[in-house]
Amino acid sequence: MSSPARPAARWPWFLAALAATAAAPWLLATPYWRGILVICAMNVLLALSLNLILGYTGQLNLGQSGFFAIGAYVTTVLVKTYGWNFWLACIAASGAAGAVGLLLAAFAVRLRGHYLGIASLGFAVIVYQILVNWEKVTEGVRGIYGIMPPPPIRIPGLPEIAFGNQVALFYLVGGIALLVYLMLDNLVRSPVGETLRAIREDEISAGSLGVHAAKWKAFAFGLGSAIAGLAGCFYPGFVGTLVPDAFNIVESFTMMAMVIVGGMGTMIGPVIGAIVLTFLPELLRGFGEMRLMVYGVALTLVVLFLPGGIVQGWQALQARIGAWRAAP
Amino acid sequence: MSDFAALILQQSINGIYLGCLYVMVALGLTLIYGVLNQINFAHADFVTAGAFTAFFVTTRFATKMLGLSDVTGYLLSIVLALGVGALLGLAINAAVFAPLRNRGDELRPLIATIGVSVLVENGQLALFGPVPYQLDSPFSQQTIRLGKIFFTEQSVLVVAAAALAIGALYAFMRFTFLGKALRAVAQDRETAGLMGINQNFLIGLTVVIASALAGMAGALLGPVIVLTPFAGTSVIVKAFAIVIIGGFGNMEGTILAGILVGVIEAFTVQYLGSGVIDLVVFALLLLMLAVRPTGLIAERREENV
Repeated sequence: MSSPARPAARWPWFLAALAATAAAPWLLATPYWRGILVICAMNVLLALSLNLILGYTGQLNLGQSGFFAIGAYVTTVLVKTYGWNFWLACIAASGAAGAVGLLLAAFAVRLRGHYLGIASLGFAVIVYQILVNWEKVTEGVRGIYGIMPPPPIRIPGLPEIAFGNQVALFYLVGGIALLVYLMLDNLVRSPVGETLRAIREDEISAGSLGVHAAKWKAFAFGLGSAIAGLAGCFYPGFVGTLVPDAFNIVESFTMMAMVIVGGMGTMIGPVIGAIVLTFLPELLRGFGEMRLMVYGVALTLVVLFLPGGIVQGWQALQARIGAWRAAP
Repeated sequence: MSDFAALILQQSINGIYLGCLYVMVALGLTLIYGVLNQINFAHADFVTAGAFTAFFVTTRFATKMLGLSDVTGYLLSIVLALGVGALLGLAINAAVFAPLRNRGDELRPLIATIGVSVLVENGQLALFGPVPYQLDSPFSQQTIRLGKIFFTEQSVLVVAAAALAIGALYAFMRFTFLGKALRAVAQDRETAGLMGINQNFLIGLTVVIASALAGMAGALLGPVIVLTPFAGTSVIVKAFAIVIIGGFGNMEGTILAGILVGVIEAFTVQYLGSGVIDLVVFALLLLMLAVRPTGLIAERREENV
């Protein structure tokens, strides 16, 4: 089970995921739940991006909210202030987040474990403070209001696709999440992925085999930051407003929790984690004020009793069922 | 004394006062890191819990029920906050650190403490609500004047409490058998275990001491922060910066870095405005990591290949 499935066996799963994505807004057909679905798709992107850095290269990055913020603010400022085309601004914003990620990685690759964790946390705090203090560009704590959703796409012969419609926006972000998943899935199966895993397991041994660890760690960091920036592009258009508090460092912890709860270092784990941790607080609304307490308890319990996350729990269950079937 | 010299002196005193508050928070983090190699994110919430304890002891318990004066009430509240911190430390050690300690993983305990942090914050939110409380210290109103320099009795109390706590901690680490055993565990857990040292007990003790410090720091910080269930978060991020600047797990480094950050903060407020404090502190952190990643006072730790 832990061995990677053959490429042929992956396609049915991918088609199932595609079908699930297509069906989701019709199964959860109220505007409220469709909104949650859009958030969920963004969270999947964020969890995937962090997993590449944390799960596949073992770099403790607590600053992912900073890259998410860069994506959101660069897109919005380019569109609102400079009148850029949204899609161009999106590319620029992801590029900017990736570039900043590379810059941070350039000196972060020297740091290990908790040092890197706190340094990246410091980076997120600095980004947050810049958003608050650089009022000329970011409007500070007052925030930017009236942000339009992505512009409609007109394809001749088809009805216009307008992203003010939550279903269309969900299909857009969900589709991008699926594409990013495919891309990363192929990446981690490639020799590059093996290199990254070798670095995660033992950097010094990998180095002795001629792997340039610093270069590959920076590559993973940069790519992960760019994907987080990409997720950030769609956030302001969905919410309509942009305030620094949306990118509090607590957001970094939430992303980290998604990766861990789902199963770090597996491709599907962070996706499951993102879905579970997006919907869990909503399902717990019945608990009223207690719901975040329950969330905290759940997070701690998963770490205590399922250190490999939900994916590991599932594999253990499968193994148990297999043993039970094999028994006479 | 010229006005300029007076200003410098005044801001330095303010900075040391602030620095002592940070040191008390950061010392707990560094203690736990030194012995366990773990980061406790819930540490911030123990600070908040200490501040809330102080608030309710001073406004309800001590003054209304016991009929104590404001001064004794506040001093009592500091002691009780310390106790509440210790209890929380006992709980988090039993729930998170003890079970996860031997798995040899630095990430999962971190996430588990984030879970505990969410739990404690929202527990306090459910109990106390989101409206900020105002904890008044009877010492904050009393100012001492020396020439052109002013400071409150509260700042004297804070510096004295910090000095007392640091002194007691040092004496404990240097001169008691338990302290010696604790240092042994920090150096090499396995070997210490082979020498018959009960590491479970000692690690628990470390977490309790660290958390008690956090609770006490909460009672002393209370009057200068906006007391909400999330108040600790603003302090803790800075405490992490201090721990790194000083060198993870290094007590002297943490004390030095804490006071340094306090002084830098005081001068930043004077010359650049209070909005950019965090920017300056974290720029300093990143600079420190780039130039001298081991911290002000380097830890000597060998890495096995």
